[in-house]
Amino acid sequence: MNPPLERNRKFTAALLLAPMVLLLLGFLVVPVAGVLRSSFLDGDYLLEGTGFTVGHYLRFFSDSYYSSILWETFVDGVIVSLICLVVGFPTGYSLARLPPLARRWRTIIVILPLTLSLVVIVFGWLIILGRNGLLNSVLFNLGIISSPKTLLFTRPAVILVLVQQFLPFMILSVLSVVTQIDPVLEQAASNLRANRLVTFRRVIIPLATPGILVGCNLVFVLSISAFITPRLIGGNRVPMLGSLIYERIMSEFNWPSGAAMAFILFVAGLGFTAAFNALAASRLVMGGRLHAR
Amino acid sequence: MRDDFSDNVMKMAGAVVRAVVYTMLALPAVLVIISSFTSGTSMNFPPPGFSLQWYQRAFESEPFMKALWTSTYVAVIVSFLALIIGFAAAFAINRFSFPGKGLLQGLAFSPLVVPAVVLGIGLLYLFAWMHLTQTMLPLLVGHLVLAIPYVVRTVLASLSLHNRVLEEAAMNLRATPFQVIRRITLPLILPGLLSAAIFAFVTSFGNVTVSVFLTYGGNVTLPVQLFTYVDASYDPLVAAVSSIMIFVTLAVILTIEHLIGAERLA
Repeated sequence: MNPPLERNRKFTAALLLAPMVLLLLGFLVVPVAGVLRSSFLDGDYLLEGTGFTVGHYLRFFSDSYYSSILWETFVDGVIVSLICLVVGFPTGYSLARLPPLARRWRTIIVILPLTLSLVVIVFGWLIILGRNGLLNSVLFNLGIISSPKTLLFTRPAVILVLVQQFLPFMILSVLSVVTQIDPVLEQAASNLRANRLVTFRRVIIPLATPGILVGCNLVFVLSISAFITPRLIGGNRVPMLGSLIYERIMSEFNWPSGAAMAFILFVAGLGFTAAFNALAASRLVMGGRLHAR
Repeated sequence: MRDDFSDNVMKMAGAVVRAVVYTMLALPAVLVIISSFTSGTSMNFPPPGFSLQWYQRAFESEPFMKALWTSTYVAVIVSFLALIIGFAAAFAINRFSFPGKGLLQGLAFSPLVVPAVVLGIGLLYLFAWMHLTQTMLPLLVGHLVLAIPYVVRTVLASLSLHNRVLEEAAMNLRATPFQVIRRITLPLILPGLLSAAIFAFVTSFGNVTVSVFLTYGGNVTLPVQLFTYVDASYDPLVAAVSSIMIFVTLAVILTIEHLIGAERLA
């Protein structure tokens, strides 16, 4: 290709990419940087702060109330990811191995919670878990309980609803890697007299690890930053970092402090997933060496 | 033979897990729809009888109908803009070679990893500083950012799947690059483009986690209106409005499924 044409192509590529790059720089990178900057402002009210202080961060880490909420939020994130993995993996795997027609309706059921507004799903759970809701009336009619139990405003309820919301991400991540695993490999394993469990452990899991990791990361990050679900399902009794930030900013208008907490959430979440991925990758490499031996 | 037992246990456990998973995924939406037809005045389950009164109330409710209009308006504009911006970027990523391509792809998908709270307050802060919180602009821009990854992913997938022989043939017949794109490429990937636009529509239409921070000025979307309503109290009116959202979303999913097939829906 001659030089002027080559330059022309580069110019065209830049022109095509410019709108997206400008949009994301201006309205994703700049706002995140703005949150970082405003978290160092001295002051407690919306847009009134000036100067530079690390006070909001210091207060967060010195107050055991906040650190315990940060800890609980992360524990919840890990629990939700694990449950999603344990129930999402078999579902995603079987979905990948189904004939197209059988797959159709199941895929729609999996996609629906993703595309449906979060509020609608949470509202559905309020109908199930409410005092006069479905679960209470079923348990009552079966004679298991004699009076309606309070199921909402508990941590297990929040975890259950988070699992349902984010499970589709896990199922789809697993689905996308399993469809790339050739079924011949499983037949080969079974010809070599491996049973399902061994095939699963030695063939499918190692090959599906990238999808498992993507799914776990997505579910974890989404769970720790959740605030609609903890607020509506958990009330004030199940505080999570996301709902705390929402309240700090939208009800107390304490901007710098809320921004500091949001940034802690962002960085801690990134750090946690990066560490998890590095660990998983090193385990995988070592595991590969062991198998090769 | 000795392995039969563990095989059977796994088979049965898998069947149970799948049944629970599909029930759990569908249950909230199904219950919302059932509750919306209640003749009672509270959210007790099971509902005492059938009526359409809450739908009538929903269509008569001014805040909800205004919010439905705002949501639709924003979602239509967002899907249109996201499609143009996302297609241009995906086309450049797919057909041109340039340094830093990996980084650019990372940037395109980065809205997925930034927590909604961080993006929401960041945008609120930015638009407050520009004195634009009273306009529809924060919602439009916020939803546009959120829709980009979905559009880029869908368009990239259809660009890399379609056969380029026809484009080469057209070029051999001396069609200009513009003619090739307009007459060959775009018609061929039309289903992919439509589903990308629809993905952008649903992303915008259903979003609440970023929108709550951007409806400060009074342009309230339907999910945010529902959130503030449920936060205070809830009655079958919410069920009726939520059912309307479910019907819209379901219609949209079925459309995409029809366009590109279930196996590419994911």
